[in-house]
Amino acid sequence: MATPGRHVGHYIQRNSRFLLNNLDQLWVNRTFGWTSALRQHAAETITESTDTIVIPRKKTWSKEAVLEALAATVSRDPTAYSYQFQDDPYLTPRTAPELRLYTLAQESGRSAAKYFVNSNPKFFTKDFAEPHIPCLMPETVSLRLEEVSEEALKERINLRKVKAAVDMYDQILQAGVSVSMETTHDLLDLICLYCDKDPVEDEGPETEDVEGAEDAKRNKAGARRASNILKSIWRENNNAERLFNLLPERDTQCYSALIRGMVKHGAYTKAFSAYTDMLNNRLTADVHIFNALISAAPEVRDKYNERWDVIIELLNQMSQQKVQPNLLTFNSVLKALRRCGFLAKTQSIHTLNEMKALGIAPSLASFDHILAVFFKGASRQANSDIFQEVMSELAGTSFTCRDPDDTHFFSNAMRICVEIKDLELAYKVQSLLEVGENWRLLRDPYRSYFYGSFFSLLCMMEHVDVVMKWYRQLVPSVYYPNTQGFRDLMQALDTDSRLDLLPVIWKDIRSLGHDNKSDLVEELLNLMARDTHSPEVQESYAACALDVKSVFAGDRGNKSLEWSPSSLSNITSLLLRANKTQQAWEMLQLFKSKNRVPATGLLEEFLSACHSEGSTNRAVALVQLSAAFCLSATPTLAKRTLSEFDLTEEQRAILLDLESAGESLE
Amino acid sequence: MHRFLLRTLNFAVNHPVSVYESCVSISKCEKAAASAFRVANGGGVKALSTSSYRHCEKKDDVTPAHQEEKTNAVEDVVPTETATLLTPKAEGEITLVKKEEHNEEPVVLKTDGVDMEQQQADVRVEEVVEPPKQVKSPAANSGKQSLLDLLGAMKVEVTNKSKLKSKKTMSPRPESIPKPNLAAMESTISMFQQATGEAASQSEALDSTLVAAASAAASTLPNSSQAESELLRQLRKNDSVTEAQKKGDTNNLGVIIADMKVGKRYNRQTAKPANQIWFDDDGKGYTLERGITAELDGVRRRRPMFSGKRLNVFSPATAADSVETTVARPTLWDMDFANQLSLSTSQFPRNGLEEMIQWSKEGKLWRYPINNEAGLEEEVGVSFHEHIYLDRHLEEGFPSQGPVRHFMELVVAGLSRNPYLTVQQKREHISWFRDYFHQKEEVLKEADVYLR
Repeated sequence: MATPGRHVGHYIQRNSRFLLNNLDQLWVNRTFGWTSALRQHAAETITESTDTIVIPRKKTWSKEAVLEALAATVSRDPTAYSYQFQDDPYLTPRTAPELRLYTLAQESGRSAAKYFVNSNPKFFTKDFAEPHIPCLMPETVSLRLEEVSEEALKERINLRKVKAAVDMYDQILQAGVSVSMETTHDLLDLICLYCDKDPVEDEGPETEDVEGAEDAKRNKAGARRASNILKSIWRENNNAERLFNLLPERDTQCYSALIRGMVKHGAYTKAFSAYTDMLNNRLTADVHIFNALISAAPEVRDKYNERWDVIIELLNQMSQQKVQPNLLTFNSVLKALRRCGFLAKTQSIHTLNEMKALGIAPSLASFDHILAVFFKGASRQANSDIFQEVMSELAGTSFTCRDPDDTHFFSNAMRICVEIKDLELAYKVQSLLEVGENWRLLRDPYRSYFYGSFFSLLCMMEHVDVVMKWYRQLVPSVYYPNTQGFRDLMQALDTDSRLDLLPVIWKDIRSLGHDNKSDLVEELLNLMARDTHSPEVQESYAACALDVKSVFAGDRGNKSLEWSPSSLSNITSLLLRANKTQQAWEMLQLFKSKNRVPATGLLEEFLSACHSEGSTNRAVALVQLSAAFCLSATPTLAKRTLSEFDLTEEQRAILLDLESAGESLE
Repeated sequence: MHRFLLRTLNFAVNHPVSVYESCVSISKCEKAAASAFRVANGGGVKALSTSSYRHCEKKDDVTPAHQEEKTNAVEDVVPTETATLLTPKAEGEITLVKKEEHNEEPVVLKTDGVDMEQQQADVRVEEVVEPPKQVKSPAANSGKQSLLDLLGAMKVEVTNKSKLKSKKTMSPRPESIPKPNLAAMESTISMFQQATGEAASQSEALDSTLVAAASAAASTLPNSSQAESELLRQLRKNDSVTEAQKKGDTNNLGVIIADMKVGKRYNRQTAKPANQIWFDDDGKGYTLERGITAELDGVRRRRPMFSGKRLNVFSPATAADSVETTVARPTLWDMDFANQLSLSTSQFPRNGLEEMIQWSKEGKLWRYPINNEAGLEEEVGVSFHEHIYLDRHLEEGFPSQGPVRHFMELVVAGLSRNPYLTVQQKREHISWFRDYFHQKEEVLKEADVYLR
């Protein structure tokens, strides 16, 4: 409590000298009369003397500021699976499809619980939390108001019950009561947004739809998407149009709802005629109407220049009606330009310049559209400096999502990088992703695509050490490579002759669940068995080969692979090179049980291994085995054994017999 | 309390209060006025009637020129103050003062207009602090003396409780000793220190004072013991509520927070507007968010590719155009669009802290405190003065004098220092007493204690 006093004292002390100086002056002046001007003069002087004190502006922190600051200190652990799976290691997904399944299951579980809570509020009346946590309590999803009134209509609108709202509106009108303009707007918005259909039951299916849309690139989603489109087709004279025609007076907002609904649900021509109708009623459009119409422009004209004429006409009308365009306006222009063929390149640059002139910062979607325009069809290489330029403009900027299309930018940019095989640009795109919150703009299906392209580009262009560095950073924390990714990686290892890393890669293949892909496994075995390496490498190869063998044997309970002759012989020769003759011998037995025939070369190799080990018995058994397979090489093998090994009489007799049998067979 | 006055003195300028606050500091220099006021208020916290203080300021302005007039004025102040607070007989003088004040009004307003900035306010304070130091010791002494006498007499007249009287006359005693030859600065500081010390001791002694006042009020009723116990019960109930809410916070922390709460309200109230003007003027406070457009401009200058022609359809927006588009309320379409955006950026949390962020955004997690206002949602819109200046609730339904009034002033003083009750609870507390005394109106009338 003493501090304030001292504070004042401090002030007085600071300014006392000044005061003394001014006192005489004041004294004189006061005798002439007290004027405010005098005070002002004094005050001005003191402002100068205390100029150094600047009280900082009060800073308003967001409610999560502390947590955000803390979270910013945590970086990604490249060795761990992502955070969401750490609670439950058993269920940790290891491949992209498993990941999708996992997230879908999680979401649907969540929405099932929510559905249960909301539809049975009577079981969830107890409120244990102190303070109260509203989001954990059941929401009202059922209608409460039953009587015919505007309130009831509003309730139906808020709960997004389209059909019930329309019925209520009709009943109100029949009762001869008028509905306020505001509620009418809301109702029209509702009907047009959901195209006169009740929205699919809230949260749950919605997220599933999102996930479903993600599937689009995959197989079955096409059908689902088609059904989605079918579901929301704008029908002739639906309730929206009927209500609209019933309205005593229609303002811009009514038209706005109608036109946006028509464009959203595919009635493009209708939208344009509604717009003409609106102009005839001497109304001016709002920015949403123009945005919708511009995005619909490519649908109503066939020729490229006609499409562009429609767009330019709309833009001119906008400026005539003094409607200020926004980001979405220009993004829809750019999006429409993607479908304008030869006109697109020049006009998209002009559009971008227009945005800059108006002070509208382009979002990632704008650049995505521009890149798509320039990298379509032929002449890709020529345009890479456009890409360079875009990337140098974007470098180091943190973006927030301002257009739903923003999320496409990164994956599309990376796709183009792969197409033009420009590693430098790919690095730029990757580093842009690391800036600020930009990682949020790369969602899941696109993310695995993004990293997949990036990684295959790396494998193609980069030295293997760098590739492995990226590999360690990305797998498994953000990226699960698919079969193709591993194949690219093995090729990269092959080109830079770092095949000694193959056993490590095999471990990852196993842990990521690709060990049931026969072509991948065979390629791995081929690469390992192709050349002879140093003893240490051979040793690790042999261990790896045994591991592969255990996968073939179906040790882990999942469906085992079919043994192929090449994989059998590869494993055998790998074991032989590591002097694991016993295991190799067991492999040879497998040939028989799996009805596969070993190659002659393998048997000869085996024989030399026996010779260096000096195990005569095994050599004889080998020749016998070869005879059992009825191989043409049997006599040669027998001859070699006879000459090279130190044999007993009995063995010699057997071998001679086999040799002659082979010769007689021929 | 005094902290408040001082802090406002330092910052708030635009506020009408500032006029009288600068005067408060003057009056501190002349201790007579200050202590007299304190006596008159009987430990109450709500300071003084603005009118008398404006009056006071006027005098200070004039003082250097006419010393004698000053002394008179100080003497004038004493009766007017006591009159406003205690005696109806001084009403004539009040009107006089009011008239003077009225005359003074233009000047005050003018200075208000001029003194927009903090430093200027300080200047004014210092200007008025300085002259009294040189001129006024004798004047203050005489004024103080007469004031004390007057007050002592009045107290005796009004409350016939000798216990109370002695308490009142005792308490100002140490302060009323003049310190004539100190520098103005020092005297101001010591004034405040004394004042705070006294405030603290008063708050501690409040219980016994309250009990005494309650019994005083009760003694005017026929069955005094019952009335006293009723009054005391209500007071105790208040205490217990206070205790309960105090214990809700963790012991010592609660006390600290209680202090902070007061300071904080103050900040929000007054500091902001002043700062806004300050920063708007020189612009230093803002970091201008140029963002990508500025960068793009730079790029466009450098590079040939993205320069050149544009569509030339639109002309750059003026500020007026952009304003009118923001007025409309959000439609379903906007909600749908926002939902789309949030869906397209929603990601799984990457670490535990991000998960906590997500949960607190969803409202599932208790908000991580980012300042000292955490958990004050209930009172977020309530400004400090509603907590402190509770006297205005006494204007309705209570007598303007007498033991009941006196008792209620003590109640209000106690409430104004209580950081644990919400304003609503404080109001309810006061209105309980209002109802109570209304119920006992008959009895009070019999005992010649008038409610109006």
